[in-house]
Amino acid sequence: MRKPDGKIVLLGDMNVGKTSLLQRYMERRFPDTVSTVGGAFYLKQWRSYNISIWDTAGREQFHGLGSMYCRGAAAVILTYDVNHLQSLVELEERFLGLTDTANADCLFAIVGNKVDLREEGAAESQEEDGHSPGMASGGCASLKVSKQVRPEDAVALYKKILKYKMLDEKDAPAAEQMCFETSAKTGHNVDLLFETLFEMVVPMILRQRSQGPAQTVDITSYKPPGRTKAGCCA
Amino acid sequence: MHPREECKGIQDQPADMMSTKAFSLVSAVERELLMGDKERVNIECVECCGRNLYVGTSDCFVYHFLLEENTLPAGTATFTATKQLHRHLGFKKPVNELRAASALNRLLVLCDNCITLVNMMSLEPVPSGARIKGATAFALNENPVSGDPFCVEVCIISVKRRTIQVFMVYEDRVQIVREVSTPEQPLAVAVDGHFLCLALTTQYIILNYSTGVAQDLFPYCSEEKRPIVKRIGRQEFLLAGPGGLGMFATVAGISQRAPVHWSENVVGAAICFPYVIALDDEFITVHSMLDQQQKQTLPFKEGHILQDFEGRVIVATSKGVYILVPLPLEKQIQDLLASRRVEEALILAKGARRNIPKEKFQVMYRRILQQAGFIQFAQLQFLEAKELFRSGQLDVRELISLYPFLLPTSSSFTRSHPPLHEYADLNQLTQGDQEKMAKCKRFLMSYLNEVRSTEVANGYKEDIDTALLKLYAEADHDSLLDLLVTENFCLLTDSAAWLEKHKKYFALGLLYHSNNQDAAAVQLWVNIVNGEIHDSTRSDLYEYVVDFLTHSLDRELVWQYAGWALQKSEEVGVQVFTKRPLNEQQKSSFNPDDVITCLKKYPKALVKYLEHLVVDRSLQKEEYHTRLALLYLDEVLRQGPSTGGRGAEVTETQAKLRQLLQKSDLYRVHFLMDRIQGAGLPMESAILHGKLEEHEEALRILVHELRDFSAAEDYCLWRSEGRAPPYRQRLFHTLLAIYLGPGPSAPELTVAAVDLLNHHATEFDAAQVLQLLPGTWSVQLLCPFLTGAMRDSVHTRRTAQVAVGLAKSENLIYKYDKMKLKGSSVRLSDKKLCQMCQNPFCEPVFVRYPNGGLVHTHCAASRQTNPSSPSPGART
Repeated sequence: MRKPDGKIVLLGDMNVGKTSLLQRYMERRFPDTVSTVGGAFYLKQWRSYNISIWDTAGREQFHGLGSMYCRGAAAVILTYDVNHLQSLVELEERFLGLTDTANADCLFAIVGNKVDLREEGAAESQEEDGHSPGMASGGCASLKVSKQVRPEDAVALYKKILKYKMLDEKDAPAAEQMCFETSAKTGHNVDLLFETLFEMVVPMILRQRSQGPAQTVDITSYKPPGRTKAGCCA
Repeated sequence: MHPREECKGIQDQPADMMSTKAFSLVSAVERELLMGDKERVNIECVECCGRNLYVGTSDCFVYHFLLEENTLPAGTATFTATKQLHRHLGFKKPVNELRAASALNRLLVLCDNCITLVNMMSLEPVPSGARIKGATAFALNENPVSGDPFCVEVCIISVKRRTIQVFMVYEDRVQIVREVSTPEQPLAVAVDGHFLCLALTTQYIILNYSTGVAQDLFPYCSEEKRPIVKRIGRQEFLLAGPGGLGMFATVAGISQRAPVHWSENVVGAAICFPYVIALDDEFITVHSMLDQQQKQTLPFKEGHILQDFEGRVIVATSKGVYILVPLPLEKQIQDLLASRRVEEALILAKGARRNIPKEKFQVMYRRILQQAGFIQFAQLQFLEAKELFRSGQLDVRELISLYPFLLPTSSSFTRSHPPLHEYADLNQLTQGDQEKMAKCKRFLMSYLNEVRSTEVANGYKEDIDTALLKLYAEADHDSLLDLLVTENFCLLTDSAAWLEKHKKYFALGLLYHSNNQDAAAVQLWVNIVNGEIHDSTRSDLYEYVVDFLTHSLDRELVWQYAGWALQKSEEVGVQVFTKRPLNEQQKSSFNPDDVITCLKKYPKALVKYLEHLVVDRSLQKEEYHTRLALLYLDEVLRQGPSTGGRGAEVTETQAKLRQLLQKSDLYRVHFLMDRIQGAGLPMESAILHGKLEEHEEALRILVHELRDFSAAEDYCLWRSEGRAPPYRQRLFHTLLAIYLGPGPSAPELTVAAVDLLNHHATEFDAAQVLQLLPGTWSVQLLCPFLTGAMRDSVHTRRTAQVAVGLAKSENLIYKYDKMKLKGSSVRLSDKKLCQMCQNPFCEPVFVRYPNGGLVHTHCAASRQTNPSSPSPGART
């Protein structure tokens, strides 16, 4: 089996279209997919590098596997459904924590999928936005406002992630570059998403290689998680 | 004895269409061998080491069997177990686990929380009584850290809470080397090197017992299901995950393979490359690690042990032991191919690469690719088929041989054995469907056309090209001709018969030609042109044949068919002689006399041929020129005299005749003159007179008979071409004389004379002309002539003056050069004396004569005045 040089992991709530995105990119088609069990991965040859792309299961049942899948990842694609605000919220609440095991310089892409389904609702939601400019902060108002996710919401999440990772915005790639809106059904922006990431991952692979034997993961550099767990319980 | 119970493990297998048969399940130890009819005794654990099979029971017995593998003629393996001995361990507890350490000849037996070392053969405990106490479970390190071959590393889950201990076990002693505590109570353990893979109460972790560093893998719930921790290879483990997943994890805590999907209640897992085998209470399931797909399901009730021992997979119920016998990989692949599952077969074959020697693998893999290619082909998936044929380096003839009658009868090809596919021929494959048949043929056409120029074709070029020719001919395909006119290896007899059958006679001719049988080719084509056989491939076949003969090097052949070609059309037919390539003409050209003899019957052709000799090839032979001139003349005479006069409307032939008469100097003038006499061809006879230098007569004809004055002028110019000016002058004067001559002086002659003078003033000697002219002519009339003559005269004089001047200056230049050559530097000293007065020079001024003599300036001056004085040069 070819050994991958770098890893990219797709994370996100169930039914946001992770498997479809990956199949659209790898197989150029949009078949009906069933709920992913556990996980699956593809090997993509990009220039002379093998990049493994892991499709994870969004179902709560498999949530525990996420950390392991993310271990050593060079990039994480956080996927939500542009028509379901909750799926964006879940990214922060449930999935961000899983990326703690990823590489220290791990890239984050925020991807809003299913833009093909947004068409009718979009105008409507913008209208509502226009009517209630002052109420943006009000919790009850946002409930009433449509479930559509605006691109600004994704950018805001991206900035939160940088803060969470304690990264300076200046050092990380710009939010505009890392937030995508895609449609696995039409193929909109799908190639752009993956290929942008590949282009950014390749220099990381090179950097890792030049750093020498650190290719084998040095697990001593991780703090034993057992202790923190224990501390939490005690 | 207990037929019902005997069948408990294996059930009748339903035929599952979409599954691979990777394993077959056979019985190894039957119940009566173990416990006879003791109903309540169960099998607790199993160990297999080489041919030794050990079974531990719930009533604290260890059984030792020898396994004998027998292969039935049908190819399936069966096992017979022969009981060696059994021994009671002396407790009232079940035997929990058995592990053999063959290097030590020891069996490790876990019973009642204690690991005892017993002799593998006698099952007697070691005399030293060495044992490990306080163990609830243990695992052997198959990737040991110490290099000592007489020591095994054993890792136990201690009865002490949250404790793992590592021991070194020798032949008759044990030694604890490490004790590590775990964050939670461990339930299962596997070891690789320094890495422990542990199932704790709520999660799986990797623990490095040397450094104590732990790494979380993923959470699970031990209350809901029994954990599975199984080492599957260097630094990699297989774990039972949530939702019935079989998760792979490396010691680095990374998953490098996608999980396999089991049922929720899996109790055991084993590996037999490339398969992951899992056991639940109803089935044994087989997944491929290559594509994560489930490949086989074997119904198996009440199984509770599944383990692999050095590649041998053993499964057991509480009453019987069975072996999962893997089918040979090739058999599995063949089964997949037989059920048309090409992709899976290829994945499996590729996955086997590292398990099979390279040479053997390549042969096997190529064959599989070829078989897969035929499967795709039979489904009309031609693109895929082509790629598989290409990568499998298929002998093209395998494919050709599917098509009836395409391989040449002489081909020595026989299909490979065992066959690559199940089809006798295309008829069987398409079941007579004409449309499918046509598609297959089109595919073969394009495929053969692609490969015929590649190395795939090496050695079978004849077979390929012949097959291609047959396909093209049958399909009436344009490429048939392209194939035949370029280099090809079509076999003659086979191809010829086929082309005849399909009435491709023109193509057949091409085939003959490419086989150096031009005579047969031309005969065939001639028959087509003559309408004896029918083939409408070319409407211009006659011209084609003529062209073919023109370029043919076979002179016999050309002679043979020249007559035929000329009969069809003299003008076109004669091309076989006239259009032959130049380089060939020089080498072995046809003798013109032979050709002329041949062409006697074809006057038009003869004319063309003579034109070719005289004009194109410029042959300087009197006979050809005279003959051509005569032929022209005959033709002109045949057409009847032209209206004469100012031959505006001369026929083409007449023009050619005149041209020839003028240009050629070789024909027999007198002979032609005789023929022309009285034929009413004044222009022609004028030319002939001209050839005889009879200018007066010629000009007389032109002026008096034809009254064509411009022709007369042209005549003067023509005849004086390349001659000295006086000759030309003489001609013009002759013409002028005729104009002015005695006889019925017509006014038009006068006008012609004036025009002649005025237009060609320079061609006349003006002085002579003036004497000839009648005195009545006005100066004005001759103004241009006179002006011209004057100008010419003046011009001549001035030119002469200029020439004189130039000659003088040229002379001067030569003189100057001569002086310069004679001169040299002069040294003046006390010893030099003036040659005139013989006194020395007192000043740096002197005169030098051209002969080099030096004198005082005053002496020179005095000499000037006295020219009689002797020249200074004479003195030197």
